[in-house]
Amino acid sequence: MYLRRRNPKDDHRAAVSAGLGLLFAVLATVTGAIFARIMWGAYWNWDPRQTSITILLLIYAAYFALRGAVPDSEKRATLAAVYSILAFVTVPFLMFIVPRIYFSLHPDVMTNPDPDNRLDSAHLRVLLASLAGFTGLYVWLYTLGSRIEAIRDRRQQEVL
Amino acid sequence: MSDLAGIMLVTMIIWIGLYAYVYRLDRKVGRLED
Repeated sequence: MYLRRRNPKDDHRAAVSAGLGLLFAVLATVTGAIFARIMWGAYWNWDPRQTSITILLLIYAAYFALRGAVPDSEKRATLAAVYSILAFVTVPFLMFIVPRIYFSLHPDVMTNPDPDNRLDSAHLRVLLASLAGFTGLYVWLYTLGSRIEAIRDRRQQEVL
Repeated sequence: MSDLAGIMLVTMIIWIGLYAYVYRLDRKVGRLED
């Protein structure tokens, strides 16, 4: 969006969204490791999904490192926008391809051809409820983050 | 209380606490906007 309109607000929104993405990815990694300890006996097994979330965390870290390394705001926004597009290309690969190439401890409960190994209705209800809860939380925090950035912008303009 | 009911109660408390905290932040940001 920033590359098309060159509006600094778009860059701020992207940074807020990436920050939330990183927060949720860290939460998924930590809670997933606790789950792995209980279910599989070890916090970390280098399972394909664990490996792909590690790569995802590194991609997020590189995004913020890039933002921190460029002092000029216009240059930073352009570079961050280009990097975001390149980072997004890896999403289908990390989300859908890598976990299905190698053997995984994570069961395939959505598209499994065996109906006995699919998600039962009680688990599906819990999954959908948490999906709704986390999506709502993301939207709310994203709006809040964007409003905070707008206040910061307004105050900076008042100072100048 | 069964294990499942206990887990559901704790989960609900965490979710309500989380949303209440974000609501407080929202009010705080609203005051800063004025």
